Amino acid sequence: MRSFFSLLACLFVAAVSALSTSGNRLLVVLDDVAEKVNYSKFLADLESRGFQLSFETPKSESLALFRLGERAYDHIAFFPSKSKGLGPNLTPNILVDFLNANGNILVTLSSGVATPTSLVSLLNELDIQLPVDRTGLVVDHFSYDASSAAETHDVILLPPPGPVRPDVKDFFSAGAAASEILAFPRGVGAALGASELLTPVLRAPSTAYSYNPKEQAEVVDDLFAAGSQLSLVSTSQARNSARFTLVGSAEMLQDKWFDAEVTTADGQTAKTFNREFAKRVSGWTFNEIGVLRVNWIEHHLDEAGAANESSPSIYRIKNDVKYTISLSEYSWTHWTPFTTPAADTLQLEFSMLSPFHRLALNPDPAQSTGDAAAYTAAFKLPDQHGIFNFKVNYRRPLLSNVEEKTTVSVRHMAHDEWPRSFVISGAWPWIGGVGVTVAGWLGFVALWMYSAPVKGRAAAGKKTQ
Amino acid sequence: MSADPLQALASAGKGENTRSLLRFIILALIAGAAIASRLFSVIRFESIIHEFDPWFNFRATKYLVANGFYNFWDWFDDRTWHPLGRVTGGTLYPGLMVTSGIIYHALRALAIPVDIRNICVLLAPAFSGLTAIAAYLLTNEMTPNSSAGLLAALFMGIAPGYISRSVAGSYDNEAIAIFLLVFTFYLWIKALKQGSMLWGALCALFYGYMVASWGGYAFITCLLPLHAFVLICMGRYSTRLYVSYTTWYALGTLASMQIPFVGFLPVKTSEHMPALGIFGFLQLLAFLDYIRSAIPGRQFQTFLWLFAGGTFGLGLLGLVLATSAGVIAPWGGRFYSLWDTSYAKIHIPIIASVSEHQPTAWPAFFFDLNMLIWLFPVGVYLCFQELADEHVFIVVYALFGSYFAGVMVRLMLTLTPVVCVAAAIAVSTLLDTYLSAKSPSPPPAHAADGGEGAGKKAAKAGLKSTTKPVVGIYGLWGKGMMVGAMAVYLLLFVLHCTWVTSNAYSSPSVVLASKMPDGSQHIIDDYREAYQWLRQNTREDAKIMSWWDYGYQIGGMADRPTLVDNNTWNNTHIATVGKAMSSSEEVSYPIMRQHEVDYVLVVFGGLLGYSGDDINKFLWMVRIAEGIWPDEVSERAFFTPRGEYRVDGEATDAMKNSLMYKMSYYNYNNLFPPGQAMDRMRNARLPEVGPTLSTIEEAFTSENWIIRIYKVKDLDNLGRDHMSAAAFDRGSKKKKAAKKRGPRQLRVD
Repeated sequence: MRSFFSLLACLFVAAVSALSTSGNRLLVVLDDVAEKVNYSKFLADLESRGFQLSFETPKSESLALFRLGERAYDHIAFFPSKSKGLGPNLTPNILVDFLNANGNILVTLSSGVATPTSLVSLLNELDIQLPVDRTGLVVDHFSYDASSAAETHDVILLPPPGPVRPDVKDFFSAGAAASEILAFPRGVGAALGASELLTPVLRAPSTAYSYNPKEQAEVVDDLFAAGSQLSLVSTSQARNSARFTLVGSAEMLQDKWFDAEVTTADGQTAKTFNREFAKRVSGWTFNEIGVLRVNWIEHHLDEAGAANESSPSIYRIKNDVKYTISLSEYSWTHWTPFTTPAADTLQLEFSMLSPFHRLALNPDPAQSTGDAAAYTAAFKLPDQHGIFNFKVNYRRPLLSNVEEKTTVSVRHMAHDEWPRSFVISGAWPWIGGVGVTVAGWLGFVALWMYSAPVKGRAAAGKKTQ
Repeated sequence: MSADPLQALASAGKGENTRSLLRFIILALIAGAAIASRLFSVIRFESIIHEFDPWFNFRATKYLVANGFYNFWDWFDDRTWHPLGRVTGGTLYPGLMVTSGIIYHALRALAIPVDIRNICVLLAPAFSGLTAIAAYLLTNEMTPNSSAGLLAALFMGIAPGYISRSVAGSYDNEAIAIFLLVFTFYLWIKALKQGSMLWGALCALFYGYMVASWGGYAFITCLLPLHAFVLICMGRYSTRLYVSYTTWYALGTLASMQIPFVGFLPVKTSEHMPALGIFGFLQLLAFLDYIRSAIPGRQFQTFLWLFAGGTFGLGLLGLVLATSAGVIAPWGGRFYSLWDTSYAKIHIPIIASVSEHQPTAWPAFFFDLNMLIWLFPVGVYLCFQELADEHVFIVVYALFGSYFAGVMVRLMLTLTPVVCVAAAIAVSTLLDTYLSAKSPSPPPAHAADGGEGAGKKAAKAGLKSTTKPVVGIYGLWGKGMMVGAMAVYLLLFVLHCTWVTSNAYSSPSVVLASKMPDGSQHIIDDYREAYQWLRQNTREDAKIMSWWDYGYQIGGMADRPTLVDNNTWNNTHIATVGKAMSSSEEVSYPIMRQHEVDYVLVVFGGLLGYSGDDINKFLWMVRIAEGIWPDEVSERAFFTPRGEYRVDGEATDAMKNSLMYKMSYYNYNNLFPPGQAMDRMRNARLPEVGPTLSTIEEAFTSENWIIRIYKVKDLDNLGRDHMSAAAFDRGSKKKKAAKKRGPRQLRVD
């Protein structure tokens, strides 16, 4: 009975958490819980994807991200808050701890509300800079929504963003119709530092710039950032694959911009892509897409007639070895085989202190299944004994990190693994020498023994004669 | 009969069988005493392996017993020298482990299951008993008087010079090697005396065992040819010498080449060339001997000179050419340091950093040998008196043994046997002279006979004996005084030996003993506490970085992989650890990451006043690192401008920023009231603000702070550098001002 219940519980948990790979407890932090009506479509989308939403205000006493040392939520979404800080329960240190504990965070900003200091210092740690005085407004006098911001030019219209590099998967614009357009109303742009963990998702058009509407209303003399250096939606993925997304405009997630009609500067009207974009951004942040999983790793001796032990802990130098890794990628509801983008390869390093081999891992259809792709590489171990690592270190923007290190020892030749002397042709003269010496000595002994001096007998013979 | 039991007892001691029995009993008692006096450490502490190297030998023995001989032979050890590994089976002297393994299996076959640890702990005492017997045999070859042999056995059994390396638990190569050394010498003398191939072969066999056991076999390899050479120079070439030497050399060299670690060294390195040279020289002599018997004398003279000159010239040329061409390896660093005691300090700091490679201090001779050291020259003098082939051996051995013992502390060990033999000859001659109760008969007519009877020396002694033939002390009181004095000296010797053994040589050094104010013993067990912590709290493959001294202990007690250990085969790897320890955190961290270090272990004696800590060894780390990276590490930077090595507030920046300093003194201030932190070892008042660490974090500190273990942090999760991440954790705000200055760095994706 008990096992039945636990089985049931397991099934239930599996059914509920099937949608995000890292849990479904989502904390939504709002200044006022009543504000959630503005985001009802966005939140309903999240709920329909299986998330359990909890709403809290920053100042709430009961708010705690950790309970008994464990994360109390899997994800957090911050909506703009008017408070200067976020109170004692959401200090930057706690938020960093939350990221270190594999929690994901989605932060939205608004140009009308100063960003809380707690979030500013968190962003600072992630190497993301916000405009001075925690407020800013991105405007573009060339691509704005003529219907809603004809004067202020602060509703920016952009095409859905493509991949940041050619070897990066296209998560955010794939499947978007050419007519669909993204509206970014009254948002804050951020400048990204050089950290390799950061990836800009949506960059401002080259004609956009950011200024402080409160102080620089008359004249803009000190630009915070402009053009593509201004990132409107940025992501950061920590080393433990915890995800952080900064959406510059909370308003773009509001109901009124979902499926709205906008007019571009040249007078064409188009439907906004915001709803789909919001789904994809939140889906990425909350581990619904772009999550890689290593199913199994196997390596074995690739030699004819060798005992075919799987993943032994020790090899010998100059062995032929085959290494296989199986990878899956999560796509909204299920695991799919992971295929590298066309311009990219998965690589295997065989290293001790420094790599001795760096090889491309090739797809191995024979070991791939419906939800997992196997990659394999076969090679000869170096002529150097030591403790080596099979290393797959695959870090790409927007994909979760794959860092797999399998340690094996590579030993020297054992005393009985060398070729015998008679197999080596160079040893024949010496072997011959040994034989000749032995034979010569035996011959000498024989000669000596059978040629004993006959003096005595001869003398005796003489005497008798 | 019954009225005179004393006489009956005296007459009973005269029969040959009774004497043999007595000798046997006495030898057995001496062996027993030798074993018993080495058990102090087991009784005081426990049955534990001592010091450093024994821990490796113990671990290797366990591996041998668990995996069998062939696996041991091919053992690739992936838990030391991470990540290089060590081809342990091919780089050790297997004799010790194999001996224990055989004993272990033999005892099991006899249905006596004994823990392998106890066999290892008690192996050295057991072999010391055998050494005493070997010393008896060797001395018996020198003099027909078996009391000298018994005295030599006794001296050998309890001389502190030998006990220092053979107390229970001191499971090191020397434990069996000294027995093999003495026994090989005995067999050599036996072979030489009889010109016997059989004894020569036995000698080669034990020489092979010796090679399998200890790197000090080179001592035999050089001493036997030297003995042969001296004999030849004295004009004592004989077929006996030819047979015994040739047999020993041919078989012994073949035997030694079977050890993987030795391999082709006997035909390749300079240390082995004397043996080869004498071998060739003997062949020439034998050839000349034959020629001399075949051709007339005058022609032979000419032939001899031409031949000898030509051979010598050719040989020398060949040696020079082979050495310059690299066929024969030039002399090793340890060899040079035997001649120039400051050589190692300048050129090979890693050799000089070992305390047992330092030159011997004079008091050490008296400490280790007591009265034997002044009896030793007397014995050598007595050998000169007779000067048969075997006495030449003692003289040669004495000369070389004394020289080497003066150069390196640990070579005191090779000197001890000859000292015991020579001293035993001296004491027994003394006692024999004064214990004989006979006086020469008073009539002057028979004086000459009486003089001969009393002792040959008196007869030979020159002028006085001609005028007054009966010279000597014949009064009973005089003899009694001499004998009594000697007996007192011998008793004092036993007392000294026991005292030294119990006080100086019986500490396991893994466990420290100290006295409480009330006189009771207090055990400081920090080492084992820390190693146990490592064993129980870290992953099984967590790599521990420490200075190499502790490598074997970590491997043996904590069972964790180490970067470097006491087998100092890779100087660069040791220098890497030295560099990591002596550089700042920013430099050390990438090194530690590259070597996959999980924990760093340092030994700190500041709280307890323990002198063997890492700060005191620190300069060696710096020197060894400087040898490889002279541009990055500089010894000078660790001394103040006035040339002082300081750890207090006036320490240099290089010192204060070094990882070793930071790890030693991290959080140390908190033990004391503010501003009063004291390093009791170096008597230094530490600065008020202690060092901060950002790339590593404290994981464990033992009870008396002797061992401190730090965990190496992973890369920062958010991609920050460790300094700013640590600053953020401490709560200090990032300085934005620095960011605002200067042009913004544009991001390029």
